[in-house]
Amino acid sequence: MSTAIQGGLHRDTKGSKLVRYSLIGISLLFVFLMLILPLITVITEAFKQGFAVYSKAVADDYTIKAILLTLEASFFAVAINTVFGLCAAWSLTKFKFKGKKILATLIDLPVTVSPIIAGLIFLLTFGRQSPIFPLLQDADIKIVFAVPGIVLATIFVTFPFISRELIPVLESQGTDEEEAAALMGAKGFTIFRRITFPHIKWAFLYGVVLCAARAMGEFGAVSVISGHLRGKTNTLPLHVEILFNEFQYVPAFAVASILVMLAILILVARSVIEHKGRKK
Amino acid sequence: MKRKSVVIPGFGLTTGVTLAILSVVVLIPLASLVVFSAQMSASEIIDVITRPRVLSSFKVSFLTAFVASLINAVMGVILAWVLVRYTFPLKRIVDGTIELPFALPTAVAGIALTALTADTGLVGGFFANFGIKIAFTRIGITVALVFIGIPFVVRAVQPVLEKLDPAYEEAAGVLGASRMRIFWKVILPELIPAIFTGFGLAFGRCLGEYGSVVFIAGNMPFETEIAPLIIMSELQEYDYSSATTIALVMLVASFITLFLVNVVQNRNAKILKGGS
Amino acid sequence: MYVELKHINKHFGNFKASDDVTVGIEKGKLIGLLGPSGSGKTTILRMIAGLENPDSGEIIIDGKVINDVPASKRGIGFVFQSYALFRYMTVFDNVAFGLKIAKKPANEIKERVHELLELVGLSGLEKRYPSELSGGQRQRVAFARALAPNPQLLLLDEPFAAIDAKVRQELRSWLKGMIQKLGVTSIFVTHDQDEAIEVADEIIITNRGRIEQVGTPYEVYSNPKTAFTASFFGQPSIFKDYSNFRRFDVLENAENAIVRPEFVKVTKKTEVQKYKNSAEEGVVEEVDFRGYGIELRVRVNGVLLTARRSFDQPRIKVGEKVDVFIYRMFVTQGDTATLLENKSLREPVVVI
Ligand SMILES: Nc1ncnc2c1ncn2[C@@H]1O[C@H](COP(=O)(O)OP(=O)(O)OP(=O)(O)O)[C@@H](O)[C@H]1O
Ligand SMILES: [Mg+2]
Repeated sequence: MSTAIQGGLHRDTKGSKLVRYSLIGISLLFVFLMLILPLITVITEAFKQGFAVYSKAVADDYTIKAILLTLEASFFAVAINTVFGLCAAWSLTKFKFKGKKILATLIDLPVTVSPIIAGLIFLLTFGRQSPIFPLLQDADIKIVFAVPGIVLATIFVTFPFISRELIPVLESQGTDEEEAAALMGAKGFTIFRRITFPHIKWAFLYGVVLCAARAMGEFGAVSVISGHLRGKTNTLPLHVEILFNEFQYVPAFAVASILVMLAILILVARSVIEHKGRKK
Repeated sequence: MKRKSVVIPGFGLTTGVTLAILSVVVLIPLASLVVFSAQMSASEIIDVITRPRVLSSFKVSFLTAFVASLINAVMGVILAWVLVRYTFPLKRIVDGTIELPFALPTAVAGIALTALTADTGLVGGFFANFGIKIAFTRIGITVALVFIGIPFVVRAVQPVLEKLDPAYEEAAGVLGASRMRIFWKVILPELIPAIFTGFGLAFGRCLGEYGSVVFIAGNMPFETEIAPLIIMSELQEYDYSSATTIALVMLVASFITLFLVNVVQNRNAKILKGGS
Repeated sequence: MYVELKHINKHFGNFKASDDVTVGIEKGKLIGLLGPSGSGKTTILRMIAGLENPDSGEIIIDGKVINDVPASKRGIGFVFQSYALFRYMTVFDNVAFGLKIAKKPANEIKERVHELLELVGLSGLEKRYPSELSGGQRQRVAFARALAPNPQLLLLDEPFAAIDAKVRQELRSWLKGMIQKLGVTSIFVTHDQDEAIEVADEIIITNRGRIEQVGTPYEVYSNPKTAFTASFFGQPSIFKDYSNFRRFDVLENAENAIVRPEFVKVTKKTEVQKYKNSAEEGVVEEVDFRGYGIELRVRVNGVLLTARRSFDQPRIKVGEKVDVFIYRMFVTQGDTATLLENKSLREPVVVI
């Protein structure tokens, strides 16, 4: 962030001081009201009836199951998107081929699709009215209203998160180093591990964090595809919704507080990674 | 100049894996939406989207998304400006907090904002004194969408502001232009593409937003029912054709938004690269 | 011939980057590949290295056609224009990389790397990262890295391009000496004529994907065979019609006349001049100081020529009328260039 400019031009007259302080004031007020206060609300609502009620809600069986399912879906989303992101970034930045631009656009497509629609398309692909539904049934594979559907929808909504962090870094790095290594006889994996990966390490980690954050919090898409089976297909955000709609406010906020803490953790990790990545 | 490399290994493998995963996760499911809607006749489709309740949900969705994005465009520029040009205590924390809407699950944001803006809540109670209701009205939806959209504008404007050559403004300052004039005539024009990009991204996201809105909206037909919500309720009634039709309209709207953003962004990228 | 290219063609889309390239290189020579930007120098180098495949034609090294030999098996060292040093490895690891890939024993690697770093004068910098080196030092690391696996052929793409003028001068002679000492056959790309003339044993001149001429620096400079080569070197003044210069033979279908500054002698009216009688009158339009002396722009017979004088000769002013004698010029007909001598040089001179 450039702070150098202020010295010369931006710190003189009284009028400019007034502008500066009011702009800072507006910003702080906005950030506090819109962003910080909701967080505080979650925490205060969660502890409204004391710690005992809170810990009971958090240690509830359904909550634990929801946590596990959320972790499972997030794990798969991160794993698949890691494989995908690395492959896509390598293919798109190290080679030139026809249709490359279209491929890049298609990869970015999922973020523009409403989560509800993301859920819907998997419903249509694997659900009862899908032409492949009989096949799935014969093979005894359940996707819709089951864990695989949740995993797929989660992968969809986080799809470009890792590749789009990697591609610009690899793009600007060029291909010379890899070519030099290949000339000396290094094989694909060695080139990736020794030459390419150090360049993208931080961007990769950053992408993983963003991907994990979105995966854990995904609500709309998962809501469509899950079928809301408590203890079976309920992720943490869905569990929050159910509790809230049943007017169990304190447990709802208690469970939400877990997600708030994860979000804060992610923000901290994000800024640490960004800081380290910039230094390099 | 980049070239197709004949020595770097892995083209077949990585492109193959990329295409395979892309097909399974994105292309086939999206295609099934098209296939499914192709089975419907045009009159069926028109029937669905001209239902008054559906039409009004489009109106609510577009209106609230537009207003929220407008608010975000203004607040986003102010925040980006403050974060780039000024130093003040807590700056780094504020900068990090901007990203909160990306990190916080939308459902959590939804219930928190609802609790906060309901008549019994801290903010809602304050406004209730003046007879203004926030939660369960369109204002509430807009508030939730402002929350969701703010990082898009800030993160679009911030880098441009950072790259903006100060010599440029200094030159204008030396020429005796007043501070206000410099901002309107010199800085703002440079920021316009970035603001538009941020606005477009936020708008696209807001159009499809569900989790944070569903709690605060109250979901009254014709009043506070947004399009994603109608899709959801059609699905709960197993009316897949209606759901798909409405989804298709929303999808086209967000693709158009994205396309416009891309056009502006490409021009913006050229400026960013060309400039200092 | 150690390296031979036979009828190599290479397209990028519709663009012809190499057009029937045929050339041979002797073992142990240091070859300069010289041509303007975009003339296909890098493309030739990359095809020899195996970083690019030709559309047609044969590449032969040491008597064997190597078109189908993978790049890593060709025994070639390559110094990239950008050096392409591994940014996340130390100098030591950069130089050792090829040896490690070849699974050489650790102590052998260590010995070889130290030997190479000593050779390029970088001992003691083993632990540095490329970002902590100067441009010249980076170039030396790239050079050492390319040499580490003992290549039979060394290819360097614009090895001095990224280095500032002063250091470049030093590095040129350093590299020439180093390659002579090692005796490794080398090809380096440059678009700088002085660099090619100074460093290379032999120069290959490329233009628009084709080879224009091959020869020693002296040959290509003083005896250009093609219109392009004739106009490429020096600081040529090029003009269409030379019929006003009566002391030169008139060739049929002549296109351009090319006069280099050293072909022109400019003298003040008051100075003694051997060929005073056959000199033409010119008017000085510009006088510029240069490192080596004074550069003049003189208009003669409607043509603007560049000429040089040294500092110790009497000063000439803008607008002054002077005697201009042209010793020789190149005249191009189509693709070929012919050297014409001033006829007065062959006639007996009568000094008055
Ligand atoms: N991968 C490619 N795709 C398309 N065109 C290419 C590619 N590589 C090279 N070219 C074109 O081929 C021509 C020759 O390129 P090359 O890099 O060999 O030139 P060069 O003589 O090395 O130039 P310079 O001195 O600028 O490096 C150029 O016009 C270039 O634009
Ligand atoms: Mg080149």
